[in-house]
Amino acid sequence: MMETAELKQQVKEQIIHFLNLTTVKPEDITDDEPLFGEGLGLDSIDSIELIVLLSREYGITIQDPKEGRKILTDINTMVDYIEKNRTK
Amino acid sequence: MSRIFITGMGLISAIGDSVEENRDSLINEHCGIGHIRFYKTAYAGKLPTAEVKHTTDELNKKLFGTPDPSVTRTSLLALHAAGEAIRDSQLPSKEISSAETALVGASTVGGMCLTDELYHDARARDGGTPYLSSYDYASVTLAIRERYGILGETATINTACSSSANAIIYGARLIRHGFAKRAIVGGADSLAKFTINGFNALNILSSKICAPFDRDRSGLNLGEGAAFLVLEKEEDLNGKKTYAELTGFGNKNDAYHASSNSPEGQGPYLSMMEALERSGLGPQDISYINAHGTGTENNDETESRAMLRLFDQVPPFSSTKSLTGHTLGAAGAMEAVFAIQSLVYQEMYPSLSFQHPIPETGLVPVLHYTRHFIRHVMSNSFGFGGNCSTLIFSKS
Amino acid sequence: MPYFHQSVCISPQNSFPETDLSRIRESKNNWLEATEPDYPGIPAAVKRRMGKSVRMAVGASIPLLKKFPPPDGMVIATANGGMEDCIRFLNQIHEYKEGLLTPGSFVQSTSNAAAAQIAILTKNHNYNITHVHRGLAFENALLDVVMLLKENPQAGYLLGSTDEISAYNYNIDRIAGWFRDEPVLNTGLFEKPAKGTIAGEGAFMVWMNNERTAAQAEMMAVKTIHTVDPGLVLKTMEKFLSENLPSGETPDLVLTGENGDIRMAPYIDIVESYFNESVPVARFKHFCGEYCTASSFACWLAIQIVQCGFVPPLLIKKKGSRSSCKRILIYNNYRDIQHAFILISAVERV
Repeated sequence: MMETAELKQQVKEQIIHFLNLTTVKPEDITDDEPLFGEGLGLDSIDSIELIVLLSREYGITIQDPKEGRKILTDINTMVDYIEKNRTK
Repeated sequence: MSRIFITGMGLISAIGDSVEENRDSLINEHCGIGHIRFYKTAYAGKLPTAEVKHTTDELNKKLFGTPDPSVTRTSLLALHAAGEAIRDSQLPSKEISSAETALVGASTVGGMCLTDELYHDARARDGGTPYLSSYDYASVTLAIRERYGILGETATINTACSSSANAIIYGARLIRHGFAKRAIVGGADSLAKFTINGFNALNILSSKICAPFDRDRSGLNLGEGAAFLVLEKEEDLNGKKTYAELTGFGNKNDAYHASSNSPEGQGPYLSMMEALERSGLGPQDISYINAHGTGTENNDETESRAMLRLFDQVPPFSSTKSLTGHTLGAAGAMEAVFAIQSLVYQEMYPSLSFQHPIPETGLVPVLHYTRHFIRHVMSNSFGFGGNCSTLIFSKS
Repeated sequence: MPYFHQSVCISPQNSFPETDLSRIRESKNNWLEATEPDYPGIPAAVKRRMGKSVRMAVGASIPLLKKFPPPDGMVIATANGGMEDCIRFLNQIHEYKEGLLTPGSFVQSTSNAAAAQIAILTKNHNYNITHVHRGLAFENALLDVVMLLKENPQAGYLLGSTDEISAYNYNIDRIAGWFRDEPVLNTGLFEKPAKGTIAGEGAFMVWMNNERTAAQAEMMAVKTIHTVDPGLVLKTMEKFLSENLPSGETPDLVLTGENGDIRMAPYIDIVESYFNESVPVARFKHFCGEYCTASSFACWLAIQIVQCGFVPPLLIKKKGSRSSCKRILIYNNYRDIQHAFILISAVERV
């Protein structure tokens, strides 16, 4: 099983790659910084893209977009959910 | 400025092959949304759509006798509706083909309805399908141009779901500026693997029949079809029958987000406002609205808010998309025809599947076919990219 | 009268930020790719989603949007919009068998994405439209602005065009026979006439209003027609010139969309041979390649030429004897059937 710190780093890299955040580096994203709105400045299309990321990379299916938004609050919530629910 | 009148109309959709068939279905609440039968997609049986009830081959045979293999379904729908509009206008073929006739089409899918063929051709090293020159949006307009040999100004517009409303506006302006004597204007789109996957990826397709303006609405249903209108100016009418006058139009941008409206519906508000200003009418003069009403969470609430901001008392309104599905680039022209029919027959059409109003806005659409005095009717079309357009038709 | 003011052109040649038409960049593998600047004006958060056609359009518009007041409308021409994004989404459909897909490329592939993005970036609620009529999309957008400036004489508009090459639409057009099968350089495009031409791309943005002051060129007239009859093309041009030029006068330069495809030659020939020896002829597609809105590149060239009164030698096909270059007739042809004439003039200084 991957260490949490390692998983966080991996998720950050995946987010950057998936959303083509060319000017952002993994160390620029702090674990408790909001991904949407103020923090990283992501929007509703990004949230759908991240749900696809969770599915493709970790085999996690999220049916309800509202639930998705809670999971995608910040890196901490995302990684926490991945650790508990990943199927791959 | 010349006054612009509608002298011909043609329409094909999931609820009928002609303007009159569509009206019958609207009156009798015949919803055209159902299981996918005519195009290939993994969503058949899962996501309902509103298909025109003919195979592409049937449409092709009907229009060409011997099917022309290079004509796409989108173009066939366009040819069908444009043909009805042209016959209806009773303009002789010499006038239709003349350099004084403008043709303005609109499409958001164009030949990409052939999703698999496009995928193949984009990779092909040689060979290829018969559709190599038919994938773009213009192919739809060019098919009509070709059939009637039209020599006048020809344009194709793509402003997403408001495309054919803008085609109507552009055609009217070409006439007013003297670049055309008459204009054939409208739009067409057909169902495609491409769009059903695109809209589904955005989480805005409903797995149930759509319920515009309902509290529990869960998204839109895609539809297909085409609608065309013939526009002529007052000076050229010579006592000819007209259906309505195009008295106002607005084109504004919401300037908020690529795929959703601003919370207060600023673009929709401004476009309705501009149409009113242009027509010289006040909000109280509008008897009935054919709303954009897609059935998505975002559209119906923001459109409602925009209507509440503009009207002291919101006039009766319906979303005919609850019968035809959302026909994208065809929707503006299709709903223009419905709006004009409501003027001609003094009636309002039902908005189906509605149960509870949206709590924040409390608006209730027209639920059943109703006879009603209508002097001026408004038709809204809002698209991705914030492209909002509004048309106002008045009794001629 | 409508005037062209400042413009920006992102093209395969040296057109932005500095203009140098004395040199020509060579094509590679029958492609002329547009050279993109860094676009410091596009916020990174927005740029990351943009395909090339949207990026070029937005990037070209930014210098103008900074300089001029908010436009009373933006009118954009693009035949295909984001082709690359379109195919990227198509690939996803196949790769994931219509499963869970990311919507970003679908949203970006819609052809109104450029006009929409400019409106969103500048919070501009005004008239917003995208013309997509294949090889005449730019002319239609131009006519739209001409009409807008009659409707609102005090207004200012952003007119633009953008189209990109992608490997996929190149493939489709090549197997349809529109591009050369054998390798050919743009610098030798006119040497051996054959079927097909080379692919190009680019974006053009210009500010238009009715103010002569500080204008760079005057927009005189535009006319399009669909026909495969060279005779009708000629008749259309004769009528166009007689309606828009003083009687008996001819343009000081004819700038044609000759592209090395022998199938277009009859139209180019009939247009060129209409004018007497004194009228020089120039061409532009070896500079920008063939794409649906290539005539916007010619429009940009014409605006440059009427300002300096000098035709870059690399563009000249036939030298005339005119001492000045004040009025330019652009003739473009897109795949046989779509023909366009644009008349652009130097600004008369009073």
